[in-house]
Amino acid sequence: MTQQSTLAPPVATEAGSVQVRNVVKRYGTATAVAGVNLDVRSGEFLSLLGPSGCGKTTLLRMIAGFEEPDEGDIVLAGSSVVGVPPHKRPVNTVFQAYALFPHMSVAENVAYGLRQRRTSRAEIGARVTEALDLVQMGTFATRNPKMLSGGQQQRVALARAIVNRPKVLLLDEPMSALDRKLREEMQLELKLLQRRLGITFVFVTHDQAEALSMSDRIVVMLDGRVQQVGTAEDIYTNPATSFVAGFIGKQNFIAGTVAGNGRLVTADGEIAAADADAAPAGSAVLAAVRAESITVSTVRPDTDVNVVKAAVGAVSFLGETIQYQLTTGSGHELLARVPPLHGELLPAGSTVWCSWAPAHVQVFPNPHPSTGGQ
Amino acid sequence: MSKLSRNSVGVAALAFPTWAYLAFFFIIPVALVLWYSFGFKPDLFTAHDNSVLSLDRYFETADPTFLSTFWNTLQIAGVGTLICLLIGVPFAYWLAVKVPSRWRALLLALVLVPFWTNFLVRTLGWQILLAPEGFLSDALQTMHLTTGPLSILYTRAAVQLGVVYNYLPLMVMPLFVAMDRAGASLREASRDLGANRWRTLWQVTLPLAAPGIASGCLLVFIPLMGDYITASVLGGAQGNMVGQLVANQFNSAQNWALGSAMAVVLMIFILLTVAIVGAVILAVRAVLRHNRRVVMDRTDIESAVIEEAAA
Repeated sequence: MTQQSTLAPPVATEAGSVQVRNVVKRYGTATAVAGVNLDVRSGEFLSLLGPSGCGKTTLLRMIAGFEEPDEGDIVLAGSSVVGVPPHKRPVNTVFQAYALFPHMSVAENVAYGLRQRRTSRAEIGARVTEALDLVQMGTFATRNPKMLSGGQQQRVALARAIVNRPKVLLLDEPMSALDRKLREEMQLELKLLQRRLGITFVFVTHDQAEALSMSDRIVVMLDGRVQQVGTAEDIYTNPATSFVAGFIGKQNFIAGTVAGNGRLVTADGEIAAADADAAPAGSAVLAAVRAESITVSTVRPDTDVNVVKAAVGAVSFLGETIQYQLTTGSGHELLARVPPLHGELLPAGSTVWCSWAPAHVQVFPNPHPSTGGQ
Repeated sequence: MSKLSRNSVGVAALAFPTWAYLAFFFIIPVALVLWYSFGFKPDLFTAHDNSVLSLDRYFETADPTFLSTFWNTLQIAGVGTLICLLIGVPFAYWLAVKVPSRWRALLLALVLVPFWTNFLVRTLGWQILLAPEGFLSDALQTMHLTTGPLSILYTRAAVQLGVVYNYLPLMVMPLFVAMDRAGASLREASRDLGANRWRTLWQVTLPLAAPGIASGCLLVFIPLMGDYITASVLGGAQGNMVGQLVANQFNSAQNWALGSAMAVVLMIFILLTVAIVGAVILAVRAVLRHNRRVVMDRTDIESAVIEEAAA
């Protein structure tokens, strides 16, 4: 992009910055990425989060150079990389299935990138040692990758990428093959490693907990478009769309109509919502209430708004929380998660009162008004 | 009976068809050939006699006709394997890497089409094609690409062409399987780490395809050394191969002892060739490994640890 117009946003030139400008990628008639704009700041840990098929991996592959955008531009450290083959881009990738070379030892795998750059043997030795120690795999240097566990292979794949000191490290769902405990350990380690190295990380995941726990900022994607960009807290507390609200955490959606005066009319009576009047009166909306925002009690709470009588359908003890599946008078299903400290387990079949504060209700335009939302 | 030995007997029994097949159609015939090779031809009407055992038949094989034919065969087989490899590697790479997967099955089927026809018929087909009065000859003359009729039939070139045509699918198949198995993700990882297409081919795709390349070469070279149909149909007197000499001893000359000795020499020679080529490949691999090795820097670790402790 040599043409400089006054309307064009400033080009970030820091070493680890990535700018994605109006990028479109189509496969036949299907559009995988439908006009994405994104600024990745140098040194940040950015997650691309979304369900499978949302275009997050395609976007990552376009930054890596395995796919070329049909439209738009990708700028790495101030210069466009569209048309630049993957081996000439200052990025490295940690692949989903690790893609370690089976005919090479762990150390030879890690040395591969350095050998392509004709690094001296002494420097290769020093840097491979350093990278393997960084991921605590120094003692496995002479092993064959096939002899390693999934978690160990993942560490080697990480060392193989960071040994090249890339400006940006791309990670394509690297934890999806690990069991939960190992995954949580690796998440913590990865975050610490990123802080220590100061490399920009672009991390693709479909796991919202993973994105929340590691990222400086999260990009939520759906159907090839960016739904919201923000910090974990932003996205959790102020979701931009009903999709984002539903994707992060457990959400209850209640279809209703805006009545004015901060009220919505629903099948279970009126709901008070702090931002109910953001939408015009009479419009069809979805009220979103998080499962953890709902209080469950056997006696009617001393408040006249947002109280619904419901029957307990199923109770699950989840450890940190107790989850109640509830059915309201109108037949609407509600999910509530309450801390176990707040009382005894209520048996299935009992009648309870659910309540929540107006501040905990978020209101979104209803994308499918006729079907009652979602 | 212990559990272990009972199990191994059971497994051996299950494998009966395999070892019976091997015994009846490989071990016993080879043992008979070896046995006959120590015998002699007693008179005009008897094919062999083993009443007096000697190594004389082996000395007979050392005659100039046999040796020159042997040398000729080795050249045809060696060059044929090489040409199959040179055609097969790019084709298999193209098929495994470049061709969209929906076309792959069709193209693989096309590679195998010649196998649906009898080996002899296929070879006879080339006789018609290459004949001086054949249509290829006519076409080339009409286009003024050659002066005079095509004079390739009954030469070594015709045999070379015929064997490449007959054995190419045996090379393409294992190569394709090996290259397909290496997988796109490893090639992408290589590109991502800074290797261009060419370096990726040499450092990732071909090393991973090495077992396929080896089995393809063996599948072509070994039957090619023993082939005599291609040579007798397309080669005439000039394209003689050692398989023809063996067949002649068994059929027209009715000298099974000499034919067996020739066959044994051929077998030993093939085994030796394979062993030598195998040793060379292992040596090359050892050199490549040596060049690729990483000397870990242990003193550096200690300094890093000290730095961290100080920080």
